[in-house]
Amino acid sequence: MSAKRLAQGGRIDRSQPISFKWDGMTLQGFQGDTLASALLANNEHVLGRSFKYHRPRGIMSAGVEESGALVTIGSGARRDPNVKATLQELYPDLEAFGQNAWPNVRRDVGALSGLFGRFFAAGFYYKTFMGLPPFEWGKGTGLWMQYEKIIRKAAGMGTASREPDPDVYDHAHAFCDVLVVGGGVAGMAAAATAAQAGLDVILVEQDHELGGDTLSQTGAGAAQRSELLSTLAASGAKVMCRTTAFGLYDYGTAGLLERVTDHLPLQALSSHTPRQRFWTVRAQHTLLATGALERHIAFGNNDKPGIMTAAAGRSYLNRYGVLPGEKVVVATNNDSAYQVAADLQQAGAEVTLLDARAAVSGAVCDAVAGIETRMGCVPMQAKGQHALQGLQLASGTPGNWTAGDTTIADLLLVSGGWSPVVNLISHRGVRPVWNAELACFVAPAVNEPVDMVGAAAGIWDTAACIDSGLRAAEAVIQRLRPTSTQQSAPSTEPVTPQSPAHEHGWENPILPLYEVKVAGKKLKCFVDPQHDVTTDDIRLAHQEGFVSVEHLKRYTTLGMATDGGKMGNIIGLALMAEALGKDIPEVGTTTFRPPYTPVSIGALKGRNVDEHFRCLRRTALHEWNLRHGATMAPAGLWERPWYFARAGETIKEAYEREAATVRQTVGLCDVTSLGKIAIQGPDATELLNRVYTNPFAKLPIGKARYGIMLRDDGFVMDDGTTWRLSETDYFMTTTTAHAAKVMVFLEELLQTRWPELKVTLTSVSEQWAGCAVAGPKSRETLAACMADPEQISDANFPFMGVRDITLHGGIPARIARISFSGERAFEAYVPSDYAEQMMDQLWQAAQRFDGCLYGLEALGALRIEKGHVTGAELDGRVSIDDAGLGMMASPKKAFIGSALRQRPELLRADRPQLVGIFPKNRAETFNAGSILCHADKIEGLGAGWVTAVTYSPALGHWIGLGFFEGGHQGQEGKTFISADPVRKGNVEVELVSPHMYDASGERMRG
Amino acid sequence: MAKSMVNRSSALAGHYQTGHFGIATQTGVTLTEVPDLGLHQIACWPETLAAVGQQAAVMAGCAAAPKPGQAVTGSQGSLLRIEPLKWWLFGAEATAIAAEQGNTLNISHARTHLRITGTQATTLLNRHLPLDLRAAAFPVGTVASTAYHHVGVTLWHSEQGYELFLPRGFAVSLWEGLLASAEQFGVEVV
Repeated sequence: MSAKRLAQGGRIDRSQPISFKWDGMTLQGFQGDTLASALLANNEHVLGRSFKYHRPRGIMSAGVEESGALVTIGSGARRDPNVKATLQELYPDLEAFGQNAWPNVRRDVGALSGLFGRFFAAGFYYKTFMGLPPFEWGKGTGLWMQYEKIIRKAAGMGTASREPDPDVYDHAHAFCDVLVVGGGVAGMAAAATAAQAGLDVILVEQDHELGGDTLSQTGAGAAQRSELLSTLAASGAKVMCRTTAFGLYDYGTAGLLERVTDHLPLQALSSHTPRQRFWTVRAQHTLLATGALERHIAFGNNDKPGIMTAAAGRSYLNRYGVLPGEKVVVATNNDSAYQVAADLQQAGAEVTLLDARAAVSGAVCDAVAGIETRMGCVPMQAKGQHALQGLQLASGTPGNWTAGDTTIADLLLVSGGWSPVVNLISHRGVRPVWNAELACFVAPAVNEPVDMVGAAAGIWDTAACIDSGLRAAEAVIQRLRPTSTQQSAPSTEPVTPQSPAHEHGWENPILPLYEVKVAGKKLKCFVDPQHDVTTDDIRLAHQEGFVSVEHLKRYTTLGMATDGGKMGNIIGLALMAEALGKDIPEVGTTTFRPPYTPVSIGALKGRNVDEHFRCLRRTALHEWNLRHGATMAPAGLWERPWYFARAGETIKEAYEREAATVRQTVGLCDVTSLGKIAIQGPDATELLNRVYTNPFAKLPIGKARYGIMLRDDGFVMDDGTTWRLSETDYFMTTTTAHAAKVMVFLEELLQTRWPELKVTLTSVSEQWAGCAVAGPKSRETLAACMADPEQISDANFPFMGVRDITLHGGIPARIARISFSGERAFEAYVPSDYAEQMMDQLWQAAQRFDGCLYGLEALGALRIEKGHVTGAELDGRVSIDDAGLGMMASPKKAFIGSALRQRPELLRADRPQLVGIFPKNRAETFNAGSILCHADKIEGLGAGWVTAVTYSPALGHWIGLGFFEGGHQGQEGKTFISADPVRKGNVEVELVSPHMYDASGERMRG
Repeated sequence: MAKSMVNRSSALAGHYQTGHFGIATQTGVTLTEVPDLGLHQIACWPETLAAVGQQAAVMAGCAAAPKPGQAVTGSQGSLLRIEPLKWWLFGAEATAIAAEQGNTLNISHARTHLRITGTQATTLLNRHLPLDLRAAAFPVGTVASTAYHHVGVTLWHSEQGYELFLPRGFAVSLWEGLLASAEQFGVEVV
């Protein structure tokens, strides 16, 4: 193969030379080149190595279907494997590397595996599971574990960077009347027409230039492109180049990937500009002008560098100014390659045209006047060491080819027919229909606003494609703007997939040809070159009993490479049909799924990475807590103070001090993250009485009550307090974890079950910031911040009281005298923007009593001492009786869950019930998550489990909460085992009442 | 709620820095935190919709309460119909409504209020919000509840620009994301 850059011609800018690196060599290209065209111009032909056999591979196409020239771009954190060189625009200092080869793609040691090719046939991998025949046949394999390692190492193409992706990716949404996918002539015509009628049009094109096939044409095609470009520019349609519509979804939703900076040199990148942008477009109508892809033909060594599609040859010649070979054979079964042969001949190549058909007539013959044309002739086997040097031909008719002479060639251009790109319409669950005359699948009419136009609809002629785009646009205009002025309808009939073949743009019908099989000749013919699937593999799969194309695909991996079957699927289907003795439509086609071309994970994730992977929810005291030494811990989306370590303190020392301080003087804790719901309306009381297990009908104004909610199935959903502010206004608090769940459940009840209740629910979690003031000195601390301290004397403000007060500075606050710690305590809430001022006042006061700030760890210690349950206990498996709160379930009223909590299973006396746990040896500790077992039966799921463990400063040893069959009653003094086989091992424990400290609750009162 | 004598602290305090960020040569977007939000919710039930709507219109000083998805500005404040049975009263004090008819609720501290203006404001918002913001679909006087990185937010197209209301606890995180994505247009924070 000897390719070279021509002195003139093409769309490259010869005034802007670009140097780039290929496998360490510095080469030259021009602005406007792709990496493939630049490498071709430098006569580099081995650009890759195949997946299994490490066969040398070169450029096979000029577009998205590329299966040979897969390379790695960039290095370090920006190393990007499996980039199609045919799509990569050249930029200064671009670094590209061959992959899947050692030491390089030109001399690859791995090519030895090709010698064992017959062992790597279809299903090789699966067969290794069966054992080494005949020794292990059917028994599984001991060797498997050994050669699995080798296979793993050999598998894959290219290596992604292990470093974090340094680039930024963006998401975007767009809405339009018409989305046109594909900027060839049909798409341009459609977009311009729709936009001229005032419709909002987005035209997306994966290439960096509009024009589609006309970019590879000279003369009339180029002129048509220019004309359409100017019409389009004036029409107001929004054009997005370097953008691929990779998927089509419900209700006119399309997924696009815009490559924003992939064509720019590194130094030109700005940290502000994303590398790629993931678009979600919602269109009222979608026109798919996605074009068609040229097919290969399976013949011997058809994967050799120097063999590419005919259209690719024309593209390199006319678009990139590269003469891809000097002695060129063009092999075709249809009219489209005739112009390719003519263009190459005119550019100075010595061209031979092979046509599988017996005879053709018409203008195509004029185009190749003077070119050696051999009818009824096909390529049989490519020859050459690393690249094409010669070609053995065969002649005859399909199914009856006879080997012929060998000709010298350095470039073979193949056209096996064209496959309309029906991928996107397939994403909609539409099965393409085989059109025997055109020898391709086309989309049927669909019951949604999506139409195929141009070559995507099986129309090959440029003028007919433009016409197809115009007509589709007119129909869309009439649908979306029925009042707009009717344009004069063209008098001719439109070309549809049902039209006779010659109306689709070919003078002579195509001769279906998928494989050149010659009796007695053993040929290695590739169907899916990227996955090294050969015609023999297809037949082997058939012999082994695979008859469904879906099974064939998975067994042979046909069509499962990065090209998604664009290159080989039809040939594979045709061979399977032949093996089964059926027609292609009977065999059917596999399902195309998104994405059409690969989408990077970075683009899918957009900006939602690192600290923005999830939103961080901050309480109004977040910064205040940090300023005062908090170590934070995640609590759902929130971060809450975990502990406030003093200099030199460990977490254990800190929380023990904090918990002890709360019991001795006073502590302050940010409780803003609790869910808060405003419940307003004349039926608010009724709602609460129906959802809480305990009575709420007679809760006095100015009082709070602890309440438990069950799910419909009788298990505990959440607990919290509800404060009565007025006859019709309540303030409910929920746990942090269940805030949204409770809100949604209550709203659902109101909207679906009890719409007659006049209640308004509003989440006020963000409106109010809260602080728990807990400890014997809590009243003094809070009073010190109030204009009128008498308001909270024991007489004026008894346990469970609620009232509005004013803090210094006129800060309005809503307080309740409630306790989670078991100490005398208050919860104080202020509007969030005043949170820091409240905290400053409280902290100043608390310090006067040697108080402390405390976090989740101390909060946990205090509540475990008291046997107060939280989400750790209320895990969805626990009934109200299990939690020891059965007396809070009113027998006198119905409430959510009241019926199903009476199920026999939930009333069993031996259900696991809440217990307190002490280590037998008080100096020992044990782990939350352990299984509780009888001492003589440490097995299975045990008889209970441990939910929470803490060191108790009040008791002076480790304690825990958990659940145990039948509860703690009658178990005093006995020894049980806290079993933690994978961490701590077994610890002897005893079971006690869960109320391990101040069981009578004296400390909360007074 | 009585007026406090102390200043309110913004959720963005310590995270909001004025100046020009991103692409230096242009200012496609201007971001402003509007401080001291005054926001009251007015709610009713289906049978009291008309009556409460009238009272809401009086509170805002406008002729009639807006329909769902719409907002009107009156002499006292603006009314945003954020749900079929709920309005937000922006910039005015709510007066009491008889409990049988409906209710009001002060949520002035529950949201952080950003104003987004500039030639690229719509483009920036569509980097995050799946809303049709084309002029015909989202003209001045439109309001919508939507999702920003899975967080429920409210967007109102006012005479001044886009008014974005973020739940206070998420404000810093969403602000960071908004600012970073605005840098590609050149952004002025005022």
